Amino acid sequence: MWNIRYFLLVGLCVPTLAAIESFFEELSLRNLNDGKVASRFSFTTRLEGVSPRDPRTLGFDDEAQHYRVFPLALGQILREYGVSELHLTLNAGRWDYDRWGYPEEKGVGTGAELWAWMGDGAPMSIDNRWKGLRNALAGLFCASLGSMDELRTTAPSQAFPPEGRLPSVDLPHQLRHASLPSEHVCTENLTPFLKLLPCKSLSGIASLLNPHRLFDADWHGMGVHVLWGEEEGVEVRLAFQSVMDPLRYSLSMSRDWSFQSLFSRVINKTCPVAVSSRVTVALPQQDAIEIKPNPSIEGEAAFFDVATVAKPLNVGMHWQHNFQYPLGEPIPLTPLSVQRTLKGSSQDRGQLSLVIINHETTTVYARYLETMPWLVQFHLHTLQAQVKGITSGNIISNFTYVPAVPHSRPTTFEAMLSLPPRSTIHLTMDVTKAFLRYTEHQPDAQRGWDLPPAVITPVEPLNSRMYTAGLLVDLATPDFSMPYNVIIFTCSLMAFIFGSIFNLLTRKFVVVRLD
Amino acid sequence: MANALGMYRTVKRLGIPDSNIILMLADDVSCNPRNKFPASVYAQPGRHLDLYGDNIEVDYRGYEVTVENFIRVLTGRMEPSVPRSKRLLTDDRSNIFVYMTGHGGNEFLKFQDNEEISAFDIADAFEQMYQKKRYNEILFMIDTCQANTMYSKLYSPNILATGSSEKGQNSYSHSSDNDIGVAVIDAFTHYILEFMEGINKTSQMSMDDLIKSWDVSKIGSNPGVRSDLFNRPLYNTRITDFFGGVAQVEVESPNSFHEEFVVCNEADSIEKESVQVNRTIPTSSPTSMFHHVWLYAKARKHLRTWAALVIIGSLVGWVGFVKR
Repeated sequence: MWNIRYFLLVGLCVPTLAAIESFFEELSLRNLNDGKVASRFSFTTRLEGVSPRDPRTLGFDDEAQHYRVFPLALGQILREYGVSELHLTLNAGRWDYDRWGYPEEKGVGTGAELWAWMGDGAPMSIDNRWKGLRNALAGLFCASLGSMDELRTTAPSQAFPPEGRLPSVDLPHQLRHASLPSEHVCTENLTPFLKLLPCKSLSGIASLLNPHRLFDADWHGMGVHVLWGEEEGVEVRLAFQSVMDPLRYSLSMSRDWSFQSLFSRVINKTCPVAVSSRVTVALPQQDAIEIKPNPSIEGEAAFFDVATVAKPLNVGMHWQHNFQYPLGEPIPLTPLSVQRTLKGSSQDRGQLSLVIINHETTTVYARYLETMPWLVQFHLHTLQAQVKGITSGNIISNFTYVPAVPHSRPTTFEAMLSLPPRSTIHLTMDVTKAFLRYTEHQPDAQRGWDLPPAVITPVEPLNSRMYTAGLLVDLATPDFSMPYNVIIFTCSLMAFIFGSIFNLLTRKFVVVRLD
Repeated sequence: MANALGMYRTVKRLGIPDSNIILMLADDVSCNPRNKFPASVYAQPGRHLDLYGDNIEVDYRGYEVTVENFIRVLTGRMEPSVPRSKRLLTDDRSNIFVYMTGHGGNEFLKFQDNEEISAFDIADAFEQMYQKKRYNEILFMIDTCQANTMYSKLYSPNILATGSSEKGQNSYSHSSDNDIGVAVIDAFTHYILEFMEGINKTSQMSMDDLIKSWDVSKIGSNPGVRSDLFNRPLYNTRITDFFGGVAQVEVESPNSFHEEFVVCNEADSIEKESVQVNRTIPTSSPTSMFHHVWLYAKARKHLRTWAALVIIGSLVGWVGFVKR
């Protein structure tokens, strides 16, 4: 009898046991060659032993979810739309790969970028779930993600492979990707971001996230990444990257920085639910520096365990010598340098030009992706690749192309590039600029339209991704007051003609004697 | 922009949570690289108070601020996937405060320097809200040139409307910040906010007091009030009826114990923050010596709901531009 009871008890308890949740936070800082400081906050929450919702169950009520540190608001959205993997980034500025190298968080495209992998097989179509996901995230993060409609949504096959694992192999998974380069980032996006953290910005590393300093940075961006792995379970990583310039505030070209000088805050308390909470400072190789307080040093980095060090923690770096701008061109830190421009002054047609420099001594293979709203339409037959002014036929291979459909679908163009060693490759393609309907223009039509960045994915190193700068295209804009003028003119003319004829037809002109 | 943010700060200070505020900002002046003070917006040249703060939530921004979206918010005609934060989830027990500012003229207000909302559109939207039982009372406030014309077409009951200037009058800016180089706030809004700084959640001040505080010589235009649709006298209408989320706790003396039932009104479940407590008839037998703490809503109406409040700062042009 007791045994049966025991088993019943265990049987009742097992489904209600909450998944093992763990929270890690990390701040890594590194000095850049141009005197700036790159910082990256990373907050990882893991829900172990849990897998993303099977899309086939989307028609039924979901099983109850109990979270302690996992962000509920985000968890609900992920379950509601059966999302296996999700990446959302909101960035401001252009990441300078040549000077800063690869970023620690790969998604650095200007503006908003959202991509998600979703399993098929749900009663709702993937596109409807994608729309719901966009709107839900727009509400959660106070961003205009709802505008990432079918005019901007693409499904590139190569550039955005899942970063985690996709569950259940028997279900086909599909990618949806959209970017909104004109989106800006501000405090209203950081507020919901902080609300997803278990300690908000009250304690731990997150207490350094001060909007007034972060949004003053030369480059800043935030990201939300949801992955799944068989061992790790569902993992949510919230990241904030910034590039700050201590030289801007320094009168004497001093590169010294501290938490206080970068963020105007220090760490006063530990976040009690964090399993690990640490600050990493990459040590520069050439110059003599001093780090306060005393760190533990492993290899080329200094570590601070926020839980054990004395508070308030104000990590600072003092340089022996003042900064001197390097003479001459700096050596690029990435194997490729990419520059993309839109040429031509006409509002009707132009030329898209991509210049790639391969700094390596070997041939580099890279995938090139353009996802272009229909505002700019490609003439694929004019695509040319030139090396040192000579057209070369074997640079572009393996391309896939989904042409744009005016007013509805964007272009997706993907190609494999083989870039010869130590050379500059010019890719050019003629484009037509669209002629928009009167109602399709933006409120500030004269400003032009922001175009999303192109993505270059080198085959080596694995999983690296480079974003080009965004573009601004100037489309033909009408004189917006013209319709009113036309209406007024036409109406006047109609009234005049109609009135005269009406008078002529209905009135009788007679001579009236006045006596 | 500082106009709308000032109102946002005030209603938030008076206890209305972000989930009950819909803030629409067409401009991103706070994080614009040309703003010398990143992530900050000040309404005073002295810059002692940052209106943008550390935890603002903007529900509609940039190109999303359109006349269509504004009317959809009011009337509740939305696609099913639109999130809660972008909806006005009110019912017939909700008091709504609608504040608009921007460039305007005779019976219109511009959105994004591109399209206009007319006085007729607003009047019809309010009527639709009335028919759909989406409000109990509305306070409509507008700061723009010839603002009083904007409420002239309203015809639905229980609406109190004010505007900053008469037909043919400009509405002027109040102070300019020399470091940024623009005027930062408009006079009408400035003096309202200045008055509101003296108000807290327990304030007994009425709308009449607020209206009497307006000084035409300071504001530079003639603010107007339209109360013919409103069926309460203004001296009986507290400012916190529209600007604040107020719940009062009263400790009853042990001798006058009341048998009480707290009945939550289920119709209001969409507003989780609203305080809806109903009171049943007290029985007079003092049988217990327990202190009973009970919530009651303090209005003359038997029921009070602090539900949703809308600030609509439709922002056209930059901060506190002198309107023409």
